[in-house]
Amino acid sequence: MTSTDHIGQSHRRENALRHLAGRGRFVTDLALPRMVHAAFVRSPMAKGKIVELDVSAAAEAPGVVRVFTAETLNPICAPWTGTLDHFAGMKSAPQNMLAEGQVLWAGHPVAMILAHSRAEAEDACELVLLDIEDEEAVVDGDAALVEGTPLVSEGIDSNLCFRTVLETPGLDEAFANAAHVVEDSFTFGRHTAVTLEPRAVVADFDPSTGQLTVHHGTQTPYQFQDVYAHQFGLPDNKVRVIAPDVGGSFGMKLHVYNEEMAVVAASLKLGRPVRFVADRLESFVSDVHARDHRVSARMAMDAQGTILAMDVDDMTQIGAISTYPRTSVAEGNQVIRLMGAPYTMPDYRGRLSVVFQNKVQTSQYRAVGHPIACAVTEALVDRAAEQLDLDPIEIRQRNLVADDAYPHVSATGYQFEKLSHHAALAKLREIMGYDALRAEQAELRKQGIYRGIGIASFVEITNPGAAFYGVGGARVSAQDGAIVRLTPSGEVHCAISVTEQGQGTETIIAQVVADQLGVTPDQVKVTTGDTDTTPSGGATWACRGAGIGGETALRAGRRLQAQILAIAGAVLQAEPATLALAGGTVVDKATGKERITLAEIGRIATYRPDTLPEGCDNSLTAVQHFAPTGYPFDFTNGIQASHVEVDIETGVTRLLKHWVVEDCGRIINPLLVDEQIRGGVVQGLGPAFFEECMYDDMGQMTNASLADYLVPMAGEMPDIEIAHIETPTLDTILGAKGVGEAGTAAAGAAAMNAVNDALRPMGARISQTPMTPLRILTALGHV
Amino acid sequence: MELNGSQTLAATPDQVWSALFDRAVLEQAIPGCESLEQTSDTSFSAVVKLKIGPVSARFKGDVELSDIAPGLSCTLSGKGSGGIAGFAKGAARVTLTPQGAQTVLDYTADVAVGGKLAALGNRLIKATAQKLTGEFFANFNTALTCEETAPTA
Repeated sequence: MTSTDHIGQSHRRENALRHLAGRGRFVTDLALPRMVHAAFVRSPMAKGKIVELDVSAAAEAPGVVRVFTAETLNPICAPWTGTLDHFAGMKSAPQNMLAEGQVLWAGHPVAMILAHSRAEAEDACELVLLDIEDEEAVVDGDAALVEGTPLVSEGIDSNLCFRTVLETPGLDEAFANAAHVVEDSFTFGRHTAVTLEPRAVVADFDPSTGQLTVHHGTQTPYQFQDVYAHQFGLPDNKVRVIAPDVGGSFGMKLHVYNEEMAVVAASLKLGRPVRFVADRLESFVSDVHARDHRVSARMAMDAQGTILAMDVDDMTQIGAISTYPRTSVAEGNQVIRLMGAPYTMPDYRGRLSVVFQNKVQTSQYRAVGHPIACAVTEALVDRAAEQLDLDPIEIRQRNLVADDAYPHVSATGYQFEKLSHHAALAKLREIMGYDALRAEQAELRKQGIYRGIGIASFVEITNPGAAFYGVGGARVSAQDGAIVRLTPSGEVHCAISVTEQGQGTETIIAQVVADQLGVTPDQVKVTTGDTDTTPSGGATWACRGAGIGGETALRAGRRLQAQILAIAGAVLQAEPATLALAGGTVVDKATGKERITLAEIGRIATYRPDTLPEGCDNSLTAVQHFAPTGYPFDFTNGIQASHVEVDIETGVTRLLKHWVVEDCGRIINPLLVDEQIRGGVVQGLGPAFFEECMYDDMGQMTNASLADYLVPMAGEMPDIEIAHIETPTLDTILGAKGVGEAGTAAAGAAAMNAVNDALRPMGARISQTPMTPLRILTALGHV
Repeated sequence: MELNGSQTLAATPDQVWSALFDRAVLEQAIPGCESLEQTSDTSFSAVVKLKIGPVSARFKGDVELSDIAPGLSCTLSGKGSGGIAGFAKGAARVTLTPQGAQTVLDYTADVAVGGKLAALGNRLIKATAQKLTGEFFANFNTALTCEETAPTA
């Protein structure tokens, strides 16, 4: 293989072979000497007052080392509050590890038992006497706002967490002058991440050195280093967070949870390692849930089908407490700001109400806010097309922002550097054989077979700067750092702050660094996920590994390249500018002729620096941090299409095919980009058809096991065909944007449009997810 | 969760009625009953061991009878706590109708469960509750028949 141009080539994920060989290293697998296991006694009630909590029998149980309650554990941890300054007026009750006096959701941890095994800890949980005086739980967001409804928790003065309105001056006039107005109300169910590896943490405090090491299955180790240091009053250089292999995260593993904090606190108290791995049942009642929106929306158009304005009201239900440190408001905030984003819609009003109730917290999950904004916008666009008797492709052609009209600012204030909606639409039409599918659809309808075609354009927010969280006071880093070094034998090592959860971050970083140093990616060893051995940075959230992490690696690689060339120049008595790196050697730039190998440079700089000219710096380590500048976000765009068949007798939908055309800027690794898109699509289709956390009217989750909660299975998923447009961002040298959330952003929207297209001959329509057979039959009037 | 049903019992309404208030009969009839104490004319406290799917728990609870129309109908309400397995609470309206030498017992119950029990899904719980109800009435019927055949002192 040649030594340049690895960027843009498909390379298999570096860690896949290791995982296949059973050599994965997950926190769940970790066993340390003297380690004890934690289990939690949880509130069985959604709301109530703790009248009695007696742990004396549990403390005497076989194998039990220690039992903690709020009284004995909470004092060593500062409470945390999930609010940020840039969400003006938002409020949430302060939290601590174990429930103090009041329980706020079914699953709220009340006591922690540490034993020699998890089984013994669980057995002892049964001996805890917990008497809770039941109080009326607030379970519905609309009801929560009605005067006289009890408060969800102490420490708040209303059940409204946050409210905001965005409005352009011309909104009312746009609706007054509209030739057509379409409107609908939507309900988007609650669902949750269901990672293959549940949340896992092993905290290990050494009192002799004051060192706290936390092995934590998280996507953001530096954030947790900071959280543990601050909440427990430790210097952050004595807090090491190690995130080894992580079995899926999807945003669920970057929030502060009661259990992880309690495990750290217990290790500080006991001076020995403490382990907690959530079982599947407790994952359902303690991992964050996602979405849970009710949206009413209308769209105004002129007589030609040009979109004039949207008017949207989103009520989102976030559970009892806003999450820390990113809050539970970010999701709704993105919903109202992403509405209509692909279109030249001049006017807009978006109203957001974020409401508490006595359920598990909801918060950031893959494609934060995007699926809701996309589904509402695209459903209304399809309804407008129907009203104007336009083809869904035609109405989008009329309204998508023109590819040569950038930079463009949306009605909600988002700035787009350069997008490619029309090119994507044209490519989609071609790869899906749109016209043939329409002909087939018409033919099959005559035979009583109801197929539907749904299209959804989208934009995705990637490469965020500090505007996301930092400006609101959150200690969440938007920059990253890399250390690249040439080893004494001429190999390369890169330690970088972006992290790996199976998406292939380490592989693309190796590709980027390899190209800067003229080596192959397999010569670049990449280390991630350890706050002691890598520089501090944002790690994995909001689609930033490739765009920001990749740029960081590129700049660090170039810095080391310059250092190597300087040493080579000194050794060869040549101008560094006349030299270049290729094929693992220093070459003459003009002729490509090999001058000296990297191994030789490594040997001289390490073992014989005395032979270098005086004043020559022998450093073969380069450090570079990078914070995005320019646009606040690098938006990506794309379009998806879904082809479905609805059985109108049973209400069952069969997914026939799915297409995605995506523009994530410079593609570093086509194979991994496609993997990200496919996985994202599946995570968008799951909640569109299957996944829902169901609650009864007492606030009890009633399907909190994998026997009842449906995750999308391979057999139900369609083939997913992918094509690309490449519009690199000019904000960076690399030009890459994010891609991890694109699939999820629009898959559900395309699917909902497809189902409604199939139901159209019956005059039926569905606007609630998941689109279960029962809901489809209800829409058809069969039940 | 609503449960309702109807049972035909081989005894007169009066016999059924007195059995419903008979601690010994109830103790035999309640599936998994470890102890049952009568705490007043119209209340009992019980310890019952149950296994529902993967969750097994010992429930401690109280049952109260109210709206009593002797020989005809009454309401049983109660709540029980199963520790970390969760809790159950509910009320059942029971009516007795004579049918020849037999009695038809109709019941309508509204039961709510919480904690792990709820999380495991209503599907499982409803099936289990129906099975337990069936067991209860089978035992109850046996107890009634025994009482009938064995002459009372």
